[in-house]
Amino acid sequence: MATYSPGRRRVVIALALTSLFLLTLDLRGNQVLDGVRSGFGVVYRPINRAGEVVSAPVVRLWRSFQEFDNLEEENRQLRAEIDAQRSAEISAQNAIIENQDLLALAGLESLASYGSVTGRLVGQSPSNFDQQVEIDRGALHGIRVGMAAINEAGLVGKVTSVAPQSSIIMLVTDPSYAVPVKILASKKEVPVAATSTTVLPVADSDGTAVAANEASGEEATDSIAETTTTVVDIIRETGVLRGQGSDRLPRVSFIASASAFGQIEAGDTVFTAGGSTSLAPPNIPLGRVLNVITRAGTAGQELEIEPTADLDRLQFVRVVLYQPASEVGQ
Amino acid sequence: MNDVPARVWVTRTVLVGFIVLSLQMTIATEIRVLGVVIQIVLAFAVAAGAASGPGEGAKAGFVLGLMYDLASGLPLGSTAMSMTFGGYAAGWGRQYRLEPTWWMLAALAAIGAAVGEVFVPIIRVLTGETGVFDARIAIVLPVVALSAGILSPVLIPIARWALVIRPAEVRVADADT
Repeated sequence: MATYSPGRRRVVIALALTSLFLLTLDLRGNQVLDGVRSGFGVVYRPINRAGEVVSAPVVRLWRSFQEFDNLEEENRQLRAEIDAQRSAEISAQNAIIENQDLLALAGLESLASYGSVTGRLVGQSPSNFDQQVEIDRGALHGIRVGMAAINEAGLVGKVTSVAPQSSIIMLVTDPSYAVPVKILASKKEVPVAATSTTVLPVADSDGTAVAANEASGEEATDSIAETTTTVVDIIRETGVLRGQGSDRLPRVSFIASASAFGQIEAGDTVFTAGGSTSLAPPNIPLGRVLNVITRAGTAGQELEIEPTADLDRLQFVRVVLYQPASEVGQ
Repeated sequence: MNDVPARVWVTRTVLVGFIVLSLQMTIATEIRVLGVVIQIVLAFAVAAGAASGPGEGAKAGFVLGLMYDLASGLPLGSTAMSMTFGGYAAGWGRQYRLEPTWWMLAALAAIGAAVGEVFVPIIRVLTGETGVFDARIAIVLPVVALSAGILSPVLIPIARWALVIRPAEVRVADADT
């Protein structure tokens, strides 16, 4: 029978301390460890590729088994959605082009101003406590740590680790993820109690100012009325979005509970706020407000956000080659 | 293992580790049980502990954990520490029985896997991460532990080869001579 030995306890203590030492070095940033990681990646990559080839039939079989029942129904739903969105897409394309023209005229940056690199997903996080994916593009393609990753639907995450030929992207659902965001509410009709009606101009899709009551065929006048309805401008509020884990929605905090701009409601859209220190450029769509959580005291509101990007079915990810001024200067 | 040169068991463990790691990164991330990623590398580390003892389990866990951290981009040492504890825990019960039955080894592997997996969020919290501990761990731990127990009959013989563990009767005969 094996017997207890104090040497074993010393071994485990020594290994735990070594782990702690390595952890401290790595978290503080160490070029030697970065080099070791890079070298390990070079050795491990062909083995992983071979593993992918060998496991591909098993994975395909599992996916077929898992997804067969849902595929037909999902396909029908998607076709209906495509039909519904076809006309909206044409209008949206027009609005995007106009928006970019206006931004260019005003000398403002937009997402189209930055280059990007598209990568294919080659791996997912093997851990149960991280939401990460790996893509097949890295430092050789211009990717740097911190850059934002997007897909056609919106923000996906940010680059946290870069090897010459691959990068690891932390998804927006990861508990460590945080990004400044702005919440833009859709146009709202609100009751206004006043003796004289003031109609605020709202830009329509053609860019011309129209009034709410013009839409109903009335002239915009300074008529006398006790209570009427008018259209307010778009609400803009900022906060910080943080991931909450794979099975929980990301949340936006640091929202004022009594916003000077109006109330945030479910369905409002969320975009990246940008700024000199934010790693993500402004105006990347992120999702919609699903729930508004009012907290007691001065804690303020919290918003649960449903990301527009389907993070469970990522295949390609575009890394925006954007670095804020604060990073470029370093 | 104690009288085997370190370069032998380290080389063998690293070689097997590459294969197990590759399976972890490909099949295990796709085939999830109740949404939980089965931890094959951890299962191998605890199988090494169950097969040989706490010291050997801790060493194998450390080597495999370092490889896991290097491959997955996690902070170096985080998984190494959790797998060290997992391998040690699996081997801890092993020292009280010379030649345990297969189900005893499976139970030890399951306990070691649960210990190793629970240390992952604990270490993350110590490094300043927030939101890692949530109710989902109540599903993660049983699935990871059970899967390690189920995989142990396959992984223990491989671990014995990697760590150069001789059968008990040979060790007894050596001790007698």
